[in-house]
Amino acid sequence: MSELVLKTEKLDKVYKLGGRQVRALSDVNIQVKKGDFISIMGPSGSGKTTLLNMLGCLDKPTYGKVILDNLDVTKVQEKGLFKIRKYKVGFVFQTFNLMPYLNAIENVELPMDGTKKSKDEKRKRARELLKMVGLSEREEHRPHRLSSGEQQRVAIARALVNNPTIVLADEPTGNLDSKTGHEIIRLLGKLNIDQGTTIVLVTHDSLIASRAGRMLFLNDGKLLAKEKQGTHLLKRELTCTNCGREIQPDDMFCPRCGKKL
Amino acid sequence: MQHACEGESYLGALTRAVRNVSRRKIRALLIIIALGFSMAIMISIPAGIMASQESYNSMISNMREETSKTTTLIEVSTSSGRGGFSGMPPGTPSGTPPFGFEREEVFINETIVEEIRTIDGVKDIVEFLETSSEETTSETMDTPRGSFTISRPLYTITGVCLNSTFIAEYSILPTNITAGRALQEGDSGVVLMSSNLTDYFEVGVDAEVEINGESFTVVGIYEPTSEGSMETRTVYMNLSDAQTTTGNTGNVSRLDVYAENDSYVEEIAEVIETYSEAYDLGLYVTTYTDRMERYQTMLENAESTLSQTQTVAFQEIVIAIAATSLIVLFTMLYTVRERTKEIGILKAIGFSNWNVMSQFMLEGIVISLMAGVVGVVIGIVGAPFISSLLLPSVNPFSTQQRGFPGQTVNFGTALSQSATATPDLLTVLLAFGVAALLGALGSLYPAWRASRTSPMEALRYE
Repeated sequence: MSELVLKTEKLDKVYKLGGRQVRALSDVNIQVKKGDFISIMGPSGSGKTTLLNMLGCLDKPTYGKVILDNLDVTKVQEKGLFKIRKYKVGFVFQTFNLMPYLNAIENVELPMDGTKKSKDEKRKRARELLKMVGLSEREEHRPHRLSSGEQQRVAIARALVNNPTIVLADEPTGNLDSKTGHEIIRLLGKLNIDQGTTIVLVTHDSLIASRAGRMLFLNDGKLLAKEKQGTHLLKRELTCTNCGREIQPDDMFCPRCGKKL
Repeated sequence: MQHACEGESYLGALTRAVRNVSRRKIRALLIIIALGFSMAIMISIPAGIMASQESYNSMISNMREETSKTTTLIEVSTSSGRGGFSGMPPGTPSGTPPFGFEREEVFINETIVEEIRTIDGVKDIVEFLETSSEETTSETMDTPRGSFTISRPLYTITGVCLNSTFIAEYSILPTNITAGRALQEGDSGVVLMSSNLTDYFEVGVDAEVEINGESFTVVGIYEPTSEGSMETRTVYMNLSDAQTTTGNTGNVSRLDVYAENDSYVEEIAEVIETYSEAYDLGLYVTTYTDRMERYQTMLENAESTLSQTQTVAFQEIVIAIAATSLIVLFTMLYTVRERTKEIGILKAIGFSNWNVMSQFMLEGIVISLMAGVVGVVIGIVGAPFISSLLLPSVNPFSTQQRGFPGQTVNFGTALSQSATATPDLLTVLLAFGVAALLGALGSLYPAWRASRTSPMEALRYE
């Protein structure tokens, strides 16, 4: 049985808005095992980003625990949280959030700032990751010279650079066209299969969510009891179940019989 | 601890700081220029003060030399100043621009010498004739109250009684001869010329010069003790030659009366004054006691002016420092606000509060150091201008000497010295240090605010 890397216990988050209390999360219990690719789906305002912020130690819950790598991070003081964010969590944002004044490779190197790695080691590691996301040719390009999809790939490389326990992706395809979005999801899936990267992705797009291994549903801050198996792109059969024709991993319909895949 | 393994990261942080500063070039340039001017003030003012101080010291030493002349000397002259500048009467308000340097030359008839010689206790009388050359020169003086053009005689013709005893005993001629020889008893038709006049006459030793239409041979060149002074541009010659060539036969402008000993001095002075009053000669008689009194008063006034100047300088430096800090403070506050989202990203990818804080402080320091370079350049180029603009009394004697015209203190000397107010290496290094420190101080609060920003709030910021 796989090792548990992330667990939440009775997670509650209450905000005060103009004198009234808003419960953004209520009694959320999630368990993420090493190598999982989980999507959390829900409409806008359902608490997806709030939950992701708790998991990524960017925010603290009002009640409950977040246990990351056997450490209750809710008890860690703000001063110590940066280390968890640096070494255990990798963030991928909807708006990519690259530093405009750094080129691709420097952006990837950024989270290694302050680690024990030498300059050469950092460069080597960043190169390795850019190659992995297919951007070896774009190392010296600054974000404004990269396409949206390329920028998100750089952001994914940056998230992976310190070998985090978990990658948290907040609507990673939200700013991309559907083709590029699918490419990004495919890349995440590939990393999950090839590198064993544990990924938690939040999205309001059911198609994107369905590409994960496991789908969780959040509504009004509550995790719904139903949980679905996703059609993790690279895990599914690469032949049509209806006519037996060979299909591409990101085909949504069978090119021969038209069956929805 | 958390910083232990972060040594290498500062290089990256520095690169990022420089890139961030250069991201918005126009803004950075404007800020750097504004800061640069503050820095330039910080550099120029001490340089101005130093020049002031030097000028003051040199004046004091000149005066001390002048004052410490033998105690038996009684100076008798026809005008209030030995050099004969009477265009600016004593007691002229210090705010009045120094317009007039025209000579109003009054002479004493030589017959008085015989009268004085009869006074008890008089040992020797040395006669001088100091008159202005016919040629004049125009000089433009820049003062905080505007620019003034003044016209003054090009040089002074000094006729000296060339008696070998007097020459030996009373040092009546310049001693620092750089070429040729000094004047000696029996010389006639020859001149001793200050080195700063050789260019004007385009001559050297043994050459002929024409003075007031008469031809003279230059026998020697001497180096004036205080450069830049009008008085130092002098041509020395035999007294009778001077009288003839300037049309002052039988006239002198100054007498140095030497008493047998100190006890006669006051009495001799009194007799000469009485004589002057009786015949309405308008003579000015100055004894050692008078010189000492004037010296003391001048010293006090000079010190007070210098101290006022220093106070003004101190205030201006404080203002410049405050302005610099505030510019850095507001710039960095704006930068932090503008880059809130970036702070959120940095924190989300694992930057510690310290990392974020040092990043912004480094940017403040980088801006300040760049401004330091600009400031040093402006400071070096504009130090004389800035210090004369901001330190109205760089020359502590510009007003005092008019109040005490009996002294031989020279306006031009102080002026030329103040014009060379250039910052030294120590001041420049200090300015860089101050720049870095102010950069750090000014960006401390903005950087601290940046480091305290909640990453989640910051990420939401657009």
